[in-house]
Amino acid sequence: MRTSTTPGRWLNYVLRGGTSFEPFWRSFLSAATRDLLVVVGRGFDPRMTNAVSTVLSLGGDGLRHCILVEYNEGENSPSRKHDNSIGANARAIEELFKNRGELATKQIRMWSDDGRRRVGSRGAAGVFASAEAIESYTDILVDVSALPRSLYMPMLARLLDLVDQMPEVKRPNLHAVVGDNPALDQLIVAEGLSDDASYLHGFESGIEQEATADTPKIWMPILGEGKIGHFERINDLIVPDEIAPILPFPCANPRRTDDLILEYRSYLFDVLRIEPTNFIYVPEQNPFGVYREIVSAIRHYTDALSALGRCKIVISALSSKLLSLGALLAAYDLKQADYPVGIAHVHADGYTMTGEDLKKDTAGELFEVWIAGEPYALP
Amino acid sequence: MLRAFTPSSLVNLHASRHSDDHRDLYSRMRSLGAVDDNGPQLLGVMLSCGKNYATLDDLPWDDLKKERLFFAFMNCRILLSTMRSVMQIHNLEYPQQLDRLSIAGDQDVLAELGLSPDGDCTAIFEWARKTESAISRALDSLDPDPPAPPGHSDLSSLRLLNPEQLMLDGSPVVSRILVMFDDVHKLASSQRNSLRNALGGLRESADMWIAERLEALTSEELLEVGAKHGRDYGDVAPTLEAYWRKYPQRFERTVLAIADKRVREAQPVDIDSFSSCVQSSLETPDMRTEVEEALATLESEIRGKWEDNERFSEWLATTGESEGTAYERAVTWQTIDILISRENRRAQLAFEFPLTPEELQKKDDSAARSAAELFLANRFGLPYYFGVSRLATLASSNIEQFLATAGELFEESSSAAILKRPYQLSSKRQHAILKRTAKQWWEQDVLRSLPLQSEVRRFVESIGRFAHRETFQPNAPYAPGVTGISITMAEREKLRDEEFLAGRSDLKHLAEVIAICLAHNILEAELDRSQGYERRMLLYLNRLLCCHFDLPLQYGGWRARKPEELVRWMMDGYRPLSNDRSRLV
Repeated sequence: MRTSTTPGRWLNYVLRGGTSFEPFWRSFLSAATRDLLVVVGRGFDPRMTNAVSTVLSLGGDGLRHCILVEYNEGENSPSRKHDNSIGANARAIEELFKNRGELATKQIRMWSDDGRRRVGSRGAAGVFASAEAIESYTDILVDVSALPRSLYMPMLARLLDLVDQMPEVKRPNLHAVVGDNPALDQLIVAEGLSDDASYLHGFESGIEQEATADTPKIWMPILGEGKIGHFERINDLIVPDEIAPILPFPCANPRRTDDLILEYRSYLFDVLRIEPTNFIYVPEQNPFGVYREIVSAIRHYTDALSALGRCKIVISALSSKLLSLGALLAAYDLKQADYPVGIAHVHADGYTMTGEDLKKDTAGELFEVWIAGEPYALP
Repeated sequence: MLRAFTPSSLVNLHASRHSDDHRDLYSRMRSLGAVDDNGPQLLGVMLSCGKNYATLDDLPWDDLKKERLFFAFMNCRILLSTMRSVMQIHNLEYPQQLDRLSIAGDQDVLAELGLSPDGDCTAIFEWARKTESAISRALDSLDPDPPAPPGHSDLSSLRLLNPEQLMLDGSPVVSRILVMFDDVHKLASSQRNSLRNALGGLRESADMWIAERLEALTSEELLEVGAKHGRDYGDVAPTLEAYWRKYPQRFERTVLAIADKRVREAQPVDIDSFSSCVQSSLETPDMRTEVEEALATLESEIRGKWEDNERFSEWLATTGESEGTAYERAVTWQTIDILISRENRRAQLAFEFPLTPEELQKKDDSAARSAAELFLANRFGLPYYFGVSRLATLASSNIEQFLATAGELFEESSSAAILKRPYQLSSKRQHAILKRTAKQWWEQDVLRSLPLQSEVRRFVESIGRFAHRETFQPNAPYAPGVTGISITMAEREKLRDEEFLAGRSDLKHLAEVIAICLAHNILEAELDRSQGYERRMLLYLNRLLCCHFDLPLQYGGWRARKPEELVRWMMDGYRPLSNDRSRLV
């Protein structure tokens, strides 16, 4: 059972961030008994425990279970140098759930048996094999802070798909939480980029079909700092007919948008010759803003290109996790409405940050992105 | 190269056949029967295997079902691509004008695929679109175990591709059909095997090409790479590098012609040829002081060392009288040093008679002089990697590698040209750029994407360090130097023997590492080299790695090693033994 047939599902939304994160969860947990399943990645990101510890500290009745998602990027992954931090974060999560609820670990295989293909993206969607895995909870909370994009995007899409297929009375709430700190995001560096970009599982086949090879392709990359290598590779993969770069604006740092344009200028203007009128601006901390802008732009392009048939849409999230969530929601909604949509991504062998950076203030702002459930129920 | 045979390329080539830039290419393609004055005569159907075929292998279905879906996916895309190619050649709207096209092929095949016997392409397009769409939906499903659509038992679509039965408005479209499977290395291993087996059993009226990177090959197959053409080493096709390696001068001419074309097309600079961007000699004013200082230091050192030794007095006198430029004389002095070192190693077997200038002339061969050039560069920091000829050699017979290295040089040269400065790069600058490029190629481009990265790094850097040590022995015993290692063919057979390797995990690991090195063009293999009664497999370093490890660029210098020693290099890195002969020199 699908909930939408035309894109526009999250034009009204629930987003709580910064100082309203804690009051929201306090009131949410105290209003009723909430059986909570927390999904958290086992990583080195210093933000990994922030949201979970905050939510658990607010009390409330009901189950408090956790799935710790482990993903082994391989013996040679640059992330391995942070094994100590990864272990410490995992122990902190175990400590938080000790005497509070069950903690299970799920492994995601990142490489195929022959070691030549990355299969983590499909594996992430497979963490939740059926609705049975979630139907005993009232709320699923996915903390994406320590999960790479290639994992949390298909995983959230799978959860959303499962929730959408459940009868309304059984449907749990689906929340994504993220510790947003653009400065910290910039310190985490992807190492060992794949030579070629690829599409994430669940958001691929509509783009690759031979029967529609001549259909115009629109690429909407959300630009972020230090991602020119990703940008180039994705452009080579898609060979788009039209590009509509998405830039964060307004931002906490008023110069951020200009800095991004400066960083990408030679590629945007000299190589790809993109018209400045193609730029789309979204608020830096509003994933639903990204969603809304993408959906609105796609409607516009679909109308404009209707004589040529439907256009293919490719979205790439090269920016913060918060904005990436908006890209995912747009791709999911368009896919449900039967648009050919893809999410293009460049895999990395791992991620690193310096030991000094690891010690810096990492709190940032916590954000609650309520994706499905009560607020979206039909009256 | 495959793209040259696609309809759009052939149509463009035909349209511009009278232009100076394309006349040669047109003539060549015409001689191959791909195009003539009437337009393209060959229908190139290109299938990229990099599309989402491999993800089929990740679904939790049994192998037979996955193979059937793989064939179905291929079948519909082969037919879609064929129809699109025909429309491109005839400049028709696709798919709107497909009603003018028919594939009146084998009736049994049409029936097997569920298509109508008249081969109506509008119906075939609709059938292919639906089949592709159904498989795509299954692949894209967020359900980890989606229902599988029906599949096909083989690549039957290829049996429909007969030029005589591919009709546009009732007339044959082309005289030949070429199906090109590109990026086959991106398929899952089982799919690659299925494809090869299916094609092997078909032999239909269309020609078929398979293009893949070596990384697709199994370890066993990779250890066949380097077999001499025509010898029975299984069905591994010769690599492009193996072809060019047989014709180094032709390779140099080809890559320089490509570089010249690129240079001429570069905007906004006005440079005629790539050769004009790089100096090819050390005899230039900017190097004069350094070379003269090197010459003075060498001469004084060698005289100081050997002047009192009666055996070499005539050699020193002859060398002192030698003529030529400062660089030539410096090379001569360095050569003398090498030759004297060699004589001294044999000293206890010889009488103390002075050696004559005639004996010097006999011993002063080109290999010793080449070693001397390298020694000289290494010791005095003179440029060694410069000039078009060495640049072509640095490509290791790989055109892409040439373009990458030449591109680095041209970028700096063209920047100077834009600023209206002299754009010819000095030998010193070329050397610096190429050293930097080699380091970057190895440490960032190659290593980054490898499986077993640590082991490959230790293994290859061990070969580099070992080769460096062997090369720079004072008597240059393997002049101009060592750039590779070898194992016997019998040892190689063991590295390919799965049964034997099952009990030797260390050698299995070594076989994998060597296979990775061959797949990524880090090592170049040559099989069946005779040495006495033994036949050996040679493993040369990629020439760009020779630059990285300060080694010469010539082939021919290699040292025999036992697989067990190579295992130690792979696990712990190369460490010279305490009784290493080179230490005694």
